[in-house]
Amino acid sequence: MSVFGGDSWAREAQYRKRRVDDLLLEDFEASAYKKLSNGKFTCLVCPHNPVFDTPLVLSMHSKGPRHKAAESRRKERELWRQEEISKRLAMSNCVTSTSGSNVPYQQCTNGRKPLIERTRKAASEIFSNDIIEQRNKCRKPEGESVISSCVYGQSIQWKECPIETEVPQKEVVVDQVQQLDYRGRQERELKFTAAGWKRDCHGRWFKDENVEFDSDEEDPNVILNGN
Amino acid sequence: MYLYSLTLQQATGILCAINGSFSGGKAQEIIVARGKVLDLLRPDENGKLQTLLSVDIFGAIRSLAQFRLTGAQKDYIVVGSDSGRIVILEYNKEKNTFDKIHQETFGKSGCRRIVPGQYLAIDPKGRAVMIAACEKQKLVYVLNRDTAARLTISSPLEAHKSHTIVYSICGVDCGFDNPIFAAIELDYSEADQDPTGQAANEAQKHLTFYELDLGLNHVSRKWSEQVDNGANLLVTVPGGGDGPSGVLVCAENFVIYKNQGHPDVRAVIPRREDLPAERGVLIVSAAMHKQKSMFFFLLQTEYGDIFKVTLDHDNDRVKELKIKYFDTIPVTSSLCVLKSGFLFAASEFGNHALYQFRAIGDDPDVEASSATLMETEEGFQPVFFQPRKLKNLARIDHVESLMPVMDMKVINLFEEETPQIFSLCGRGPRSSLRILRPGLAISEMAVSQLPGVPSAVWTVKKNVNDEFDAYIVVSFPNATLVLSIGETVEEVSDSGFLDTTPSLAVSLIGDDSLMQVHPSGIRHIREDGRVNEWRTPGKRTIVKVGSNRLQVVIALSGGELIYFEVDMTGQLMEVEKHEMSGDVACLDIAPVPEGRRRSRFLAVGSYDNTIRILSLDPDDCMQILSLQSVSSPPESLLFLEVQASTGGEDGADHPASLFLNAGLQNGVLFRTVVDMVTGQLSDARSRFLGLRAPKLFSVIVRGKRAMLCLSSRPWLGYIHQGHFLLTPLSYETLEYAASFSSDQCAEGVVAVAGDALRVFTIERLGETFNETTIPLRYTPRKFVLQPKRKLLVIIESDQGAFTAEEREAAKKECFDAAGMAENGNADQMENGDDEEENPLSDEQYGYPKAEAEKWVSCIRVLDPRTTQTTCLLELQDNESAFSICTVNFHDKEYGTLLAVGTAKGLQFWPKRSFEAGYIHIYRFKEDGKVLELLHKTQVEGVPLALCQFQGRLLAGIGPVLRLYDLGKKRLLRKCENKLFPNTITSIQTYRDRIYVGDMQESFHYCKYRRDENQLYIFADDTVPRWLTAAHHVDFDTVAGADKFGNVYFVRLPQDVSDEIEEDPTGGKIKWEQGKLNGAPNKVEEIVQFHIGDVVTCLHKASLIPGGGECIIYGPAMGALLPFTSRDDVDFFSHLEMHMRQEHPPLCGRDHMAYRSAYFPVKDVIDGDLCEQFPTLPMDLQRIKSFEIALMKGMDNDLRVIEDWPC
Repeated sequence: MSVFGGDSWAREAQYRKRRVDDLLLEDFEASAYKKLSNGKFTCLVCPHNPVFDTPLVLSMHSKGPRHKAAESRRKERELWRQEEISKRLAMSNCVTSTSGSNVPYQQCTNGRKPLIERTRKAASEIFSNDIIEQRNKCRKPEGESVISSCVYGQSIQWKECPIETEVPQKEVVVDQVQQLDYRGRQERELKFTAAGWKRDCHGRWFKDENVEFDSDEEDPNVILNGN
Repeated sequence: MYLYSLTLQQATGILCAINGSFSGGKAQEIIVARGKVLDLLRPDENGKLQTLLSVDIFGAIRSLAQFRLTGAQKDYIVVGSDSGRIVILEYNKEKNTFDKIHQETFGKSGCRRIVPGQYLAIDPKGRAVMIAACEKQKLVYVLNRDTAARLTISSPLEAHKSHTIVYSICGVDCGFDNPIFAAIELDYSEADQDPTGQAANEAQKHLTFYELDLGLNHVSRKWSEQVDNGANLLVTVPGGGDGPSGVLVCAENFVIYKNQGHPDVRAVIPRREDLPAERGVLIVSAAMHKQKSMFFFLLQTEYGDIFKVTLDHDNDRVKELKIKYFDTIPVTSSLCVLKSGFLFAASEFGNHALYQFRAIGDDPDVEASSATLMETEEGFQPVFFQPRKLKNLARIDHVESLMPVMDMKVINLFEEETPQIFSLCGRGPRSSLRILRPGLAISEMAVSQLPGVPSAVWTVKKNVNDEFDAYIVVSFPNATLVLSIGETVEEVSDSGFLDTTPSLAVSLIGDDSLMQVHPSGIRHIREDGRVNEWRTPGKRTIVKVGSNRLQVVIALSGGELIYFEVDMTGQLMEVEKHEMSGDVACLDIAPVPEGRRRSRFLAVGSYDNTIRILSLDPDDCMQILSLQSVSSPPESLLFLEVQASTGGEDGADHPASLFLNAGLQNGVLFRTVVDMVTGQLSDARSRFLGLRAPKLFSVIVRGKRAMLCLSSRPWLGYIHQGHFLLTPLSYETLEYAASFSSDQCAEGVVAVAGDALRVFTIERLGETFNETTIPLRYTPRKFVLQPKRKLLVIIESDQGAFTAEEREAAKKECFDAAGMAENGNADQMENGDDEEENPLSDEQYGYPKAEAEKWVSCIRVLDPRTTQTTCLLELQDNESAFSICTVNFHDKEYGTLLAVGTAKGLQFWPKRSFEAGYIHIYRFKEDGKVLELLHKTQVEGVPLALCQFQGRLLAGIGPVLRLYDLGKKRLLRKCENKLFPNTITSIQTYRDRIYVGDMQESFHYCKYRRDENQLYIFADDTVPRWLTAAHHVDFDTVAGADKFGNVYFVRLPQDVSDEIEEDPTGGKIKWEQGKLNGAPNKVEEIVQFHIGDVVTCLHKASLIPGGGECIIYGPAMGALLPFTSRDDVDFFSHLEMHMRQEHPPLCGRDHMAYRSAYFPVKDVIDGDLCEQFPTLPMDLQRIKSFEIALMKGMDNDLRVIEDWPC
């Protein structure tokens, strides 16, 4: 039985099971365990990281005395760390107030979520570009604008990597041309996904087994790579 | 959102009908129940059915019966409804209302299994009534008279029997012995207990007699006997000296006479020759007619054939039962035989008809008799007959009925001022496409071209006592044309009218002389031909004229009024002059009141936006009595007098009153009441009629004065059932009009428009819509508009019927056979020849029946302007069409295509099954007039819903929503979602949202994500609704109707909607999941209202130009209008509240409970109830308006109701 396209009882059963598991796991702190790639769970609190088959066993383990002891130790350590951080922060604040520079503070806050910050920046750049582009374009009919909003969403995901290296170096004009190119390509790719093509992990296109195709359907592998 | 619910046109199908003399005396009347409306009809002397009274009872009428107390002259009405009460009504002739005589509560409200109300039976002598439920409960009420001869009703006597299903009940006529009621019952207690099902198979129906012992005041089961299991209907047989008593039991294929202590007398019901053998014949309606010396029954079968049943009896012994073919008419829900020789056939579906008896079936015809009943090994020998043309009945009138409306759209296809309603009506051979236009229907009698463009037209009589008009006078810009009315209408030159000048007014003056007013004077033509001419002083010209039979007022340029009166000798004498402050815009004189010499009031409209009332009394001549300022200069004035009347055909008591109507230049009609004594103006109301200033004319409608208003379209103001109605006419723009009366056309209107003179009459007063009917072949299912060419594409399908070719072939064969066999029979031969020329119309006789699994279906392209069918494709191979849509696939060369969803070999019984489902794709050719099949794609379910979406086709196939793209040889499945609970019946799209209606589970909101090629359900409804109709209202809102008669709106909460739309990564919609397999978000119900009738179609439209949009629903045409101001909501909810208290519904159902029958009513105000306000007694009306005004702090009267735009 196919498991594609959300169409079988199996998927429903999976959902249900996952839901039960989720409910069981709701009691735990997310940092107290980890779901392994093989679907098993490991306890992150205990120093030897025992591995369990199901959330049920994990919950049993978490009630045991060894785990409890490890947990209290961990909490202690955490508390100490918090104290340390606040102490250092207070110290650095003192420094900024005296020197008049806020660099250390910035480092302190940014340093904690550098990736997120970078992503947000990239996204905002793309968004501002989009808005300009949209204004430049003559008005589109309503239906289309929604499609394009989908595209923006898409572009955020895809654009993270190139921006990192290219944006600061290239000139603005070149960048825009590239973006237009990029957008055209995106649009074409979307057309193929909507027509039922999928991508494997190598970026090659293959036909979704649940979708029907015409005999003379264009092959994205040829068309997109050809360009 | 607050809505105002208003019925535009009441339901037209009739569920049950009774006849009797409800107003007393010899008059024969019919009372019909149309769902929640009780109507009183009466055939007039021309054989036209007139509706005298129509009352909305706000409850479901389930049964009706009439009875008459012994020796009384008048029938009472018993109503069985869903109110849990028995109600006895009397028709009040004087007030033209139904008076509630008794209302007895016996059970819970609602249509329930064991709460009585479904069946009613009356003792033929009017001594008792039985009211029964479908199961278990039966109650008997004893009816009697008190000392003041008023009707009394006893407390109920129980005749319950548990575990019993009742099929039919009737009273047994046993003279003045104890009243007996008969019932067909089935005891299921054993079948309920037996899990093997054997007892259920052996369950047996019984005929049971219940006797009411008047002495002991007690009901007992008197007699019970087995009866055919196919028994479905009981008919009372006259007794007590008039006949043998007992009952006729109508069963499948048989009619059986039964009585206690009497052997069964059984006769077979004749069958049509072309009826398949496995089909039985059931009687669906029956009527008994009794005269002094004889009685007979008319029984109609489910195929429409009427049989006359007679009993040959010797006192109480029935010797023979004869069933003779009588005639064939469309299947009815009730037959009413009137004593005046009419037969009223009320249908649930299709038009109703009134027939006149030409004979009572005494001629020889096919006949089955109990004496010749032959029993063979295979059962009883059937008797066959062939339907023929009407012989005993002649149709003299019909009443239009839209029911059932299968689909409806409101579009302005013809680019008229108001949009047209296109509705698919009827079923089987009686189906049609009807184009409804708001307005009264008119029938055009004559149109003739004139030599120029006329500016005005009048009609005049030669003598005041003449019945008909003598001349039509037409004024042109520089001439006047006089036409005499006789056999033909022709120009005359000897009339005495001046023809070289335009005319301003032409009328009869005095008793027998004519007056022509032209710009330079007044020409008075005496009967003997003498002409008196009055000339205007100096160079002034006459600009406006107002006149009645004895008074004339002219306005000269500059604003001088000159008043003339007709004196004793018939001479026109100048009486008074008056200088107005400015030019006069319009003038009118009130008609001369009965028995007086002159009218007291002159109305003068000026360009300074005022209307003045001037006195014409000799004492204070030309004194200003009152002044009214208006919003725009008046263009035309008309006094309309409503004469005092007490009762009568169509009204309650009216005190005489005088209304002044003014057509203002901004298109508004302004109406005020003129005090008959002082001339003071009060109670001003206004209504916008159109873009042109309304010109007002007095015409005669049904013998009463009415007002014709000519704006950008003509309107008629008239009194109907005691109410003043202002309704548009369905006719083109007119310039000038006058009433017209000749011997061909007693109550007509002559009007000028362009360069043509038009004579027409106004028909079917009181109706909202006028219809154009285009017949269709099979039951229509759905239709779409081909947008470019404005053609309609209709799918039709029928179960258990033959295709057109098969029918043609069968008919031909049949006629050939008849011709061969009946060679010797001249009479038959003649009949046959006749039929070949004019074959039996399917509309009347129905289609021949085929096996249940056989379907016929067709796709029709129809041009609504020419009413021509340009293409008709019959589907082959037992396929039937269920869904249709037009679709434009992206990137494909074909342009607009047509998608039709079909099923092959669909069966509903014993189990729902089908052989295959298909989606056909057609392309339009030859300007969209012809369809060509591109390809068809097999699918695994029945596609019940199709819709275009982003250049692809969305199809609902069973529980699967699927997206298709167009391929070369078939449709290509691109994406699907199988998570819908039951069956998808409707799909609507807006931007990237898809609103899916499930058959049992209300709405699901979906979104398509192109980047993942997935369809997600992101919201659904919490209430399981059985959806019958759906319409998209706005981005977050959908309107739906369920099969229990509720209309509701659901809306996605704003924050949820925003969240869904602002989900850039799409992760939320993908991973969010709801509880218990539901969607993560829920829509909220914002509007809920119980209509009380299944709604099959919803449409959003604006019915008046420039008006707001409303939701229109069918088949009981109604509209839901959104309120625009909070004040209106407050006002109407208070009014509704007062109406609920002061005017509770007639049949005892609580109004609030009715409108909340399934779900509590929410944010809808019942306009039908509010509109009953004028039927309250006058003093109560005043008190209530005052109370509401007080409460609201508003200086408000009921003008809001009248100004409401519908």
